[in-house]
Amino acid sequence: MIIGDLSRQEFQELLAGKGLGIQFGPFNLRIRSNLKSFAALAYQLYEPYPLLTAAVISDFHVDMNSPPGLRRWLRPQACFAIDGHSPFAPYTVEHAFPALEWGINWCVATRAHHLLMLHSAVVERNGQAMLFPAWPGHGKSTLCTALVHSGWRLLSDEFGLVRPEDGMLLPLPRLISLKNDSIDVIRHFRPEAIIGPSFQATRKGTVAHVRPPVDSIKRAQEPARPRCFVFPRWIAGAPFTLEAMPKSQAFLMVATNAFNYEVLDEIAFRLVIDMVNSCDCYSLRYSNLDEAMAALDELSRSFDA
Amino acid sequence: MMLVSAGRRLLWQEWDDHYLVFQASSAETHVFNETTALILRCLEEGPRSVAEVKAWTEVALDAAPGELGADEFDFATRRLEELGLIEYLDETVATQ
Repeated sequence: MIIGDLSRQEFQELLAGKGLGIQFGPFNLRIRSNLKSFAALAYQLYEPYPLLTAAVISDFHVDMNSPPGLRRWLRPQACFAIDGHSPFAPYTVEHAFPALEWGINWCVATRAHHLLMLHSAVVERNGQAMLFPAWPGHGKSTLCTALVHSGWRLLSDEFGLVRPEDGMLLPLPRLISLKNDSIDVIRHFRPEAIIGPSFQATRKGTVAHVRPPVDSIKRAQEPARPRCFVFPRWIAGAPFTLEAMPKSQAFLMVATNAFNYEVLDEIAFRLVIDMVNSCDCYSLRYSNLDEAMAALDELSRSFDA
Repeated sequence: MMLVSAGRRLLWQEWDDHYLVFQASSAETHVFNETTALILRCLEEGPRSVAEVKAWTEVALDAAPGELGADEFDFATRRLEELGLIEYLDETVATQ
């Protein structure tokens, strides 16, 4: 079953009651909320994701509720909690949905230490995965969103999940969070993309969420082998460059950008070494999305050759 | 004065002129240039005098005797000592 098999009413009742069980790649979540405000958006954007029965054990139990007391009526807020604990200050109720999405990412980043977690977008074509490790603001999500709406499969916009046993990348095709100018860039690039409303003035600026293509969600249990690192950087007006990067530099950028490199110590060192050894590594500078995508398509075809 | 390896378990990866070394005891990853890496490699084979290590390193670098600057050599060995990877010992202690 998928979320879309539920009626809107059933969806809301689960959220408000025993919890909505939803599968995101290797993780099972149970989400509860007494806020009706974001149920409609969640129903639309989560529609193709697998629905979990009540019997399935959840990795994370998360809540997004209005705090008790007068606050509920005077200036409504939304509070994210995991296992009954609230790690963040309450959000204004209008930002409940982006807060839930950040909260779920936080759960993964702080708890899934059975996997090496790179801060990276990952896409795949013909069984070969391309990783885009980047700092915030470097154009990773914009590039990733454009690629997955142009024939590539989304593994993740945020997490390069590396399985220590075999170095394979596990998909986590969650909603893609676009920020600020990149929202309009993608709305123009792919008008047919399913994008939620823009949330203004959040803690991360203006934010909107893109639903990944259904094929990526359906193939969320299909790992991919890493083939290439591309370190993107969007710079307004900059000329396009795609240059080979020394492996030592690539290693440092991947390791320092990982969520839990220090936690996994020797395992992480070996995994990153193996990945960098087996991957081609490039530095990408771009200002024109079409130009960057054409170059990455060509790069991908060279792997096949 | 002798130099000895601190006996830490190390994992190595060499790419071009850069050496990545994982130090299991501290879970730290270090990046060394060729000179520093060779000094460490030399001492993994056993304790040696400072002069012997410098001479060994010069041979490994394909440099002429005395070509490796004393400042550069001293900087590299002090850095390795700070990281807990090598130790300076009196000759009598090192040979015991």
